[in-house]
Amino acid sequence: MPSALASAPAASIDRRFINRGASRSTLARFSLWLLPWFGLLALGAYAMYLCLSQGLFHTNMDNRYAFGLWIFLDLTIIALGAGAFFTGFLLYVLRNKELKAVINSAVVIGLTCYSGAMVVLAVDVGQPLRAWFTYYHPNVHSMLTEVTFCITCYLAVLAIEYVPLVLKNRQLKLRPSFLVFEWELHKLMVVFALVGTLLSFFHQGSLGGLFGVLRGRPFVFREGFAIWPSTFFLFILSAMAAGPSFVALTTWLVEKLARRRLIQAAVYDTLGRISGKLLLAYVFLKTIDTLLWINQTAPGRGFPAHRFYLESAFGTWMLFAEIVLFGLLPAAILIRPSWRARRGALITGAILACLGVTLNRFVLTIQTMALPTLPFDRFLYYSPSWQEYAAFGAIIAYAVLVYSFSYRYLTLFPQERELALSSKRS
Amino acid sequence: MIDTRKPAPAARYGMIIDLDRCNGCGSCSVACAVENNVPPPHPKATTRTGLNWLRVFRVEHEGRDAFIPISCMQCGEETPCQSVCPQNAVAIDPATGIVGQIPERCLGCRYCMAACPYQARAFNWWDPQWPAGFELTLNPEVGVRQRGTVEKCNFCHGRWHAARQQAAANGENGPVSYQPACAEACPAQAIAFGDLNQSEFAAKAAGHACFRLLDSLRTGPKIVYKTSSASLRNALQESRHA
Amino acid sequence: MFPWVYGFQWSFGYVLFLGIFFAVAAVVVSTLILAAWRSFSAFRRGRVPLIQWDSAFHDLPPQERACRHDFTGELSGRVCERGFDCRECATHAKLLQVHPPEPAPDLIEVSGLAIPTDRLYHRGHTWAQLQPDGSYLIGLDLIGRRLAGANPTFTLPTPGTPIIANSPALSLHRPGAEARILAPIDGIVLETAPPNSNWLLRLKPSPFLSTRHLLSGSELRAWFARELDRLQLALSAGEGAPSLADGGVLVDDLAAGCTPAQLDTLCGAIFLDE
Repeated sequence: MPSALASAPAASIDRRFINRGASRSTLARFSLWLLPWFGLLALGAYAMYLCLSQGLFHTNMDNRYAFGLWIFLDLTIIALGAGAFFTGFLLYVLRNKELKAVINSAVVIGLTCYSGAMVVLAVDVGQPLRAWFTYYHPNVHSMLTEVTFCITCYLAVLAIEYVPLVLKNRQLKLRPSFLVFEWELHKLMVVFALVGTLLSFFHQGSLGGLFGVLRGRPFVFREGFAIWPSTFFLFILSAMAAGPSFVALTTWLVEKLARRRLIQAAVYDTLGRISGKLLLAYVFLKTIDTLLWINQTAPGRGFPAHRFYLESAFGTWMLFAEIVLFGLLPAAILIRPSWRARRGALITGAILACLGVTLNRFVLTIQTMALPTLPFDRFLYYSPSWQEYAAFGAIIAYAVLVYSFSYRYLTLFPQERELALSSKRS
Repeated sequence: MIDTRKPAPAARYGMIIDLDRCNGCGSCSVACAVENNVPPPHPKATTRTGLNWLRVFRVEHEGRDAFIPISCMQCGEETPCQSVCPQNAVAIDPATGIVGQIPERCLGCRYCMAACPYQARAFNWWDPQWPAGFELTLNPEVGVRQRGTVEKCNFCHGRWHAARQQAAANGENGPVSYQPACAEACPAQAIAFGDLNQSEFAAKAAGHACFRLLDSLRTGPKIVYKTSSASLRNALQESRHA
Repeated sequence: MFPWVYGFQWSFGYVLFLGIFFAVAAVVVSTLILAAWRSFSAFRRGRVPLIQWDSAFHDLPPQERACRHDFTGELSGRVCERGFDCRECATHAKLLQVHPPEPAPDLIEVSGLAIPTDRLYHRGHTWAQLQPDGSYLIGLDLIGRRLAGANPTFTLPTPGTPIIANSPALSLHRPGAEARILAPIDGIVLETAPPNSNWLLRLKPSPFLSTRHLLSGSELRAWFARELDRLQLALSAGEGAPSLADGGVLVDDLAAGCTPAQLDTLCGAIFLDE
């Protein structure tokens, strides 16, 4: 067989790896699509190399602006990648069978988001080779320790959840050992879904807690429950709300790019409904939290809340955008069945919901760093360097590449064949 | 972890900085850098990327300049940087109250920098470099830090160590008295360094002209500022009264 | 991290945090080991062929998993949940009592195909025919043969190999397409077919042989009609699809007019090879 493969042209080898009945673009077209992404990946890899080999002066972060674009986007993609754990939880634990249609795609999204974020974090820290210290000599009181532990464990869980998808590739599953292991592993998936849920709860929360505990930063400092500030719970909820929206959004995007239907309308509806309801709950709690912060937490620490919105680019409109424009509005769109039923409205709602979580992460990182604490200090400006953009671009490219390969050679949407058959029949 | 079985009674070192005396000459900064092996700024460094354990801010107040030296305040209550460090690179010495930064453990995540309300921490954005020959002037009592780690003022911990050893050699057991480089170097004698557990120094620090920056955040800073100008005092505590 | 590592504290928070971490790690690792162990024991007990079919069946779209009583019109819209294995199916047993199989003529004609009713058909387009000596002949049915074309190449199991119903027993090779073909019944291979015969294997049936899952008699008409429909549907995927029928009769070599990709799709759909 290897010799037969070697003599066959690339296109026919390629076709052997594509599932039966799944029509995919030609190898040439696919290569053309990959090309710019590989270019971006190479550029970003060079930028990362610069930062790792010479130092972080290649970024525009500084002593006053210690967190920049990378931390902001890491938080964002981890929130958007929450679709993986939440879909898994709904499917395997709450037995919402409908979501089987998107679970594979959600796993790939989660895997790329988390692994990408880990790579950027490794570049972002000054001494990545010392990362093992956090495990070996952990300070368990630090939210960052919790984040590090949970994210690495969860990444391992995501990788395990990805293994069955790979083993189900048309050629790989011909090996009985792969197929049988996939079959047995898949039967135990509920364990991984539960572990993933537990880990996701804690690290999504801790990412919020990361900022909520900063008692020196009254703009983000929040009171809370036991050791957890309110941002801990708000982050969990907002990630759970944005996750299904992001899954719907990516599926829709792939449908548009591939020009075929991948999931049934009912699945979109379910994703939108779950996202909308959670978003509404989030907006409600976020509003209470904001009111508490304005009236109690911030003034209690000597900082009247309105001061944070004076004399800076970030006015109170940020608050409005975060809570109403990107919170209440998408929640309303996604909750109302008749609006959600229209694909355009549903996708608009999903985009707004994802933007809302992005804006929230932006406020907590970029805006927090920009606001001075010392009374004679000034508002700080920061704009990322090309290396920061490029390194992040590489992560996007990496995610697109992994997703593209997965879409081409693995079964990301089990309903695809069924929908293709029924569209032919009609 | 710092050994908590150190001999009691403990000291609680602090500083009183007299803003009326400070003329912004920057000697403290220079002395600090020399004492603590802080490398000269990289040619491309800015005021925000250079290494400084002690910065002197200039504030315009009622038509005059006031100079405010800022370094690590060695916060004593719920120290914001200490609890956030994932790998215990920030440790408070119960014998001195000094918030120590242990560069060998530092991951360079800069979470402590984000946590510090005084922004008194600096990151090694570049490899530390000294002009040829300058390595001979390095202080052998203080280690140099690697690129990618965070550093900050530690009240000249090397000097404290030397004083402790001297005291131990003399058979004394207890808080020692010493002077950090900045206090020693200040030509205007604007910086008074002492032990806040000693009633005389504590009384000075509690004087009516004294105040602490961002006191309202309740982090227990151990650097106290002093000025006879009530309006300057108010301006520097503005957020509290606004 | 461990009591002997510098910095470890026997404090509540520390022990709780690391306790949760080690518990999670233990659960993840032991679940992986369990999956590996179960795979190993599946190999040891020879359950691999069953898992292969279960897995493939699991992946078929619901349209292709229609119950045999769906296309005969007895139970509309029913989707099979047990891998087309009616031997243990209670619904099938009940329906057999209600509608006993009707006698059928020796040949049933469906769209120009003359289907002999003297044998039992498997959903994967093989048949099994009882011989006077008690052995069974296994072969490809008319649709299967047309898909295989004039000079097919098969990989057949050697005599003495035990084969299990629904498990991939043999495979078909054509330029551009390969398909594994499911065995219709349990048994042991006695001999493989000489060239140019219309059968492929001779089996010594299992002593507990049941053929209840195989199609026969009058239901063949509905089944073949549906399969031809499915064939046409599978082929209409690409643009400019060739017609399967030549003047109302299925062409002899379906593959001749197909691209390799189309042939591949057809083989998948007809031989239930996912």
